[in-house]
Amino acid sequence: MFGYIRLEVTRILRDPGYVIMGFAMPVTMYLVFTNLGVAGDDRVWAALYMMVNMAAFGAIGSAFNNGAGIAEDRTAGWLRQLRTTPLAPVRVVAGKAATGVLMVLPAITGACLSAALLNGVRLEVWQWISIVLLLWVGSLPFTLLGMALGYLFSGQTAAVFTIAANMTMAIVGGLWLPTEGFPSWLRVVAQWTPSFGYADLPRKVAFGETPGAGTALILTGWLVVFGILAVYGYRRAGRVR
Amino acid sequence: MTDDTNDANDTVSLKDVTKRFGAVRAVDGLSLGIPAGRTVALLGPNGAGKSTTIALLLGLLTPDSGTVRVLGGTPEDAVRSGRLAAMPQEGGLVSRTTVRELVGFVSGTYRAPLPLREVLSIAGLEGLADRRLERLSGGQAQRVRFALALAGDPELILLDEPTAALDVRARREFWESMRAFTARGRTILFSTHYLEEADEYADRIVVVDKGRIVADGTSGEIKRLVALSTVSVTAGEDGVFLERLPGVVSVEIRGERAHLRTRDADATVVALAAAGGVRDLEVVPAALEDAFLALTGQAGQTERATEASEVQV
Repeated sequence: MFGYIRLEVTRILRDPGYVIMGFAMPVTMYLVFTNLGVAGDDRVWAALYMMVNMAAFGAIGSAFNNGAGIAEDRTAGWLRQLRTTPLAPVRVVAGKAATGVLMVLPAITGACLSAALLNGVRLEVWQWISIVLLLWVGSLPFTLLGMALGYLFSGQTAAVFTIAANMTMAIVGGLWLPTEGFPSWLRVVAQWTPSFGYADLPRKVAFGETPGAGTALILTGWLVVFGILAVYGYRRAGRVR
Repeated sequence: MTDDTNDANDTVSLKDVTKRFGAVRAVDGLSLGIPAGRTVALLGPNGAGKSTTIALLLGLLTPDSGTVRVLGGTPEDAVRSGRLAAMPQEGGLVSRTTVRELVGFVSGTYRAPLPLREVLSIAGLEGLADRRLERLSGGQAQRVRFALALAGDPELILLDEPTAALDVRARREFWESMRAFTARGRTILFSTHYLEEADEYADRIVVVDKGRIVADGTSGEIKRLVALSTVSVTAGEDGVFLERLPGVVSVEIRGERAHLRTRDADATVVALAAAGGVRDLEVVPAALEDAFLALTGQAGQTERATEASEVQV
């Protein structure tokens, strides 16, 4: 299975779409948002706030990119080829999930390093560790949703759904613009989205607050929902092939 | 001649296997046993059920009825244990990966793979090891699929139309690679719709049509079963007796020459000699192609086409 993960990671790192969406774009957006047209105290606040948001945005994009690749692999007959090797199907699925979990790391570390090295963000060591861990572990629901989309839809359709889901997560979840500026009804909706919870937990740590148990529970709920969807998608893909 | 008898020791054993897709019976009550060490061709026109049969043997499809046994167990067990491998007709090659990376990865999923260098050498890929898969020609890609199939040194290898996309030269190169592998005493089942390929490379040919086996034997046996030989002589004024000779199915007269299509060339020639009709005798043995067309019911069109030019005597 490690051989499979290594192969998939190599393939993704060579994908220009991944390098742009999963690393270059979130880091660039972070540096633009925090250095252009922001002044004074806002700038310090934005450097920290947007660090977490752009790390989350990039991680979600990376997780989705990994999943959308499954649709491409299905079309290319790669999954069928894998089924004629001794590698058990369950290991292929687990390997793909593990790949997704690994591929979110460049976005997370990219945003955090830009914050520390370029924007002068200073945090306690335990805060850095907690933030990175929360961003990493919290990305699992998105890896599963990405895989579900990859199994449920074929190449082009999966790509469209992935972009749509990515945009929805970024906008409604308040990753691009803080939900504080939202109309009150949208703010309520936002709090139930997985992306809001995902970014809110490490953001609380960054600003020295305690992450909300309710938020964690909502994110866990999404983990279960997306997990079920991924299993359903995998089974359906196996049936129709 | 049809070898339906399944032996428990057979490498491949299908018993009364049926697989439907909607109203279509892709495989319709197929029984087949293949002992170890053979190279067997599954020959049939497009849509005969060849790919479905191979997918059933790989466990990618489950039969609606009947049993599929491979190497004494289920297809899944054979695949998991690395004793069965396959080469798909198309696809299976991922982008953004080099030949070495992909073959190396697949090798790594087997317990006792062939050394990578040997796999690349058998498949003729030494010079292409570091090339990205998306930059390979059709023939090169097919050699990579072959390399993936033999990487784990399987006992049985299934090849689904291995040379369908190849030109004549690439096809010959492919079979040269394949000979290097069969020399190791492995069992090979390949599907094809190229008659020459089945004729030249298989020890045994199983002709399938509409999901059923219509003939099974060596190329010579199949030709003898249905194909017609042609006996040609220079005919005299009276050609009427020719069509009454034993074995003769039809007589065609072109100029001075009479061409007799016969089921039994020997009997026809003996009778022709007895009648004193042997002049400039020529006997052309049956072609596998004719046998194939006759067996798969495709002969209809061809026969109608030639009928117009046939002179009834």
